Amino acid sequence: MSQTTEPSNDGAAVTEEAKITTAEKEKKADEVVEEEEEEEEYVVEKVLNRRVVKGRVEYLLKWKGFSNEDNTWEPEDNLDCPDLIAEYLQKQKSAHEGKRKAAGDTDGDESKSKKKKDDNEKLRGFARGLEPERIIGATDSTGELMFLMKWKHSDEADLVPAKEANVKCPQVVISFYEERLTWHSYPSEDEKKDDKH
Amino acid sequence: MPTKKVVDERIAKFKNKGKDLAKLREKRISVCVQLRKAQKNESFLKRRNITLSSLPDEEALSPENNTVSFRIEDIIKYVNSDDREAQTRGSQAARKLLSKSHDPPIKEIIDAGLLSRFVSFLLMDDEPTLQFEAAWALTNIASGTSWHTQQVVEHGAVTAFINLLASPMLHISEQAVWALGNIAGDGAAYRDVLIECNVIPALLARISPDTPVGYLRNLTWTLSNLCRNKNPCPPLSAVQQMLPSLIQLLHLSDKDILSDACWAISYLSDGSNDRIDVVVRTGIVPRLVELMNNKELCVMTPALRSIGNIVSGSDLHTQIAIDAGVLDVLPKLLRHPKPTMQKEAAWALSNVAAGPCKQIQQLITCGLLPPLVEVLRNGDFKTQKEAVWAVTNLTSGGTVEQVVNLVQSGALEAIINLLLVKDAKVILVILEAVNNMFMAAEKLGETEKLSLLIEELGGLERIEMLQNHSNEMVYQAAHNLIEKYFSDGDLEEVQVDTTQSGFELQVPDVKKTFEF
Repeated sequence: MSQTTEPSNDGAAVTEEAKITTAEKEKKADEVVEEEEEEEEYVVEKVLNRRVVKGRVEYLLKWKGFSNEDNTWEPEDNLDCPDLIAEYLQKQKSAHEGKRKAAGDTDGDESKSKKKKDDNEKLRGFARGLEPERIIGATDSTGELMFLMKWKHSDEADLVPAKEANVKCPQVVISFYEERLTWHSYPSEDEKKDDKH
Repeated sequence: MPTKKVVDERIAKFKNKGKDLAKLREKRISVCVQLRKAQKNESFLKRRNITLSSLPDEEALSPENNTVSFRIEDIIKYVNSDDREAQTRGSQAARKLLSKSHDPPIKEIIDAGLLSRFVSFLLMDDEPTLQFEAAWALTNIASGTSWHTQQVVEHGAVTAFINLLASPMLHISEQAVWALGNIAGDGAAYRDVLIECNVIPALLARISPDTPVGYLRNLTWTLSNLCRNKNPCPPLSAVQQMLPSLIQLLHLSDKDILSDACWAISYLSDGSNDRIDVVVRTGIVPRLVELMNNKELCVMTPALRSIGNIVSGSDLHTQIAIDAGVLDVLPKLLRHPKPTMQKEAAWALSNVAAGPCKQIQQLITCGLLPPLVEVLRNGDFKTQKEAVWAVTNLTSGGTVEQVVNLVQSGALEAIINLLLVKDAKVILVILEAVNNMFMAAEKLGETEKLSLLIEELGGLERIEMLQNHSNEMVYQAAHNLIEKYFSDGDLEEVQVDTTQSGFELQVPDVKKTFEF
């Protein structure tokens, strides 16, 4: 958004001319003279800027073969360099409308770059991710039937709900029950005594 | 019908029923203790001078806990011995110390010179327990600082771990995956070392329909670390190798796998347009848009980041995202309770608004202006910054009608209110937007109406004040605006046919007509 700075003027009746620096004013006058004197067309090298004055669009031009000190504002209608104007406008557009890549600040949302494997002390039962080896005990003191599970590659047994074990390792559960099957014969004498009461 | 007493008696004969709680508990503890004793006796028949470590390790004091904590000297003794059992016990003890949640003694273990021993244990395929303990210990050492990871690598762990990936013992292979993930995550240098050592084919070979979910989680995370980091980006050939598997993983449903797979894609799409191209060509964009809608935040976040990266690419890439439905999801995300979500959504929107007017039209049609204005008004500052870019980009690339649309949606009023912020860059972007709006107004011959509107909205006052701003570019830009469009006097506006003005303060419902 560069533009040649012009001195600001206070005061009521500010004329257009007063706004233009004296140097430019001279140039303008010169150019008018030159244009009238010679039929030669000056070649625009580049369009540098754009403004609207009195409802008319003007472009700041760099002239080929002249230094930057000779740049002038010209009304759009006087110009015959549509390509250069288009180029200027396009550059303005792409400079402003550029896509912006990721900033790189993720506010700590990103995934961890390194992870420590914690001891499974806090994790219990199947959550430890170990493979069941065998059930070594059972209890329902918690209100629910639980198995004491010995895991592979660990010497730390812990309790798992029977409901979970029945689904996740049924064969291990079956082995446990089979190992503990006992065949009872009921003592008949005692039973008869009770019935009498 | 049996009496209660009979039932009780029968039950009492059954194993555990009918016994009181204390007895049962006693029994449980004794079983545990017996197990511990048996194993201990087995391995320590010859060794009698084991001492329980003193505090601060509370493990030693708990009677129900059978972990025995060692002092480092003891660990060194056991690990350096020639007895396999002792080595295993020592490695396990080291592993337990290194797995403590608070202050694991990584440096002590390294200084004790145990790393080469641990690495040599990795090679012992006939001693899986030893392999596993050593692998776990090394994993946790590699999870520390860069220096810690360096020690692990320099003791030759990389090749050993890559070979362990093929272990028939799943838990050992998984441990190797984890360790390699830590090494890759250290940075681009070690990432590329691993890639050079052909880690990728070895990893991908472990993916099968039978692979357990836990294993896949670790594997996806490790793959994501191999996609991570820039300067330089991962080699293109490596990326091409990994992409098909990443796509596969993105179609699963486990949230942890989806999250890390999306992070991987976000890393791969964070770069030049040809990197984005590689990602887009896989056809994954529709799935990413779907995942932006996932109920899990840990999945939405990287999915949105990936799409944000993709729409920062070429117009073609952006169009693919639009065709996949991103503009239907963005309004929801712009209203998401989490500010960072809103910010990322606004950033993505700003990049869509930076495209050709055809895409801007799609943006408007999909109803993105109202949520945009909402975040301009109510968003947190970082979100507002992104939203301001969206406005400016739209004013730059949009047609006159689209700019009028934007003004009528309330965006002009909202950005004028933001002229009070301290951030000079934001002010500049807003002034640029205003300038662009005037350029559009010129085409309609309505610059004066726009000036009036800005004045009514309190903008003139603010822009005037900005002429005194400390930042040079700000006061220049403000001054130029005042000069061009707000100076009194002889500005003779060229009158245009009296169609309804686009730039009058209007109620949003009013239709507008244009003559082109």
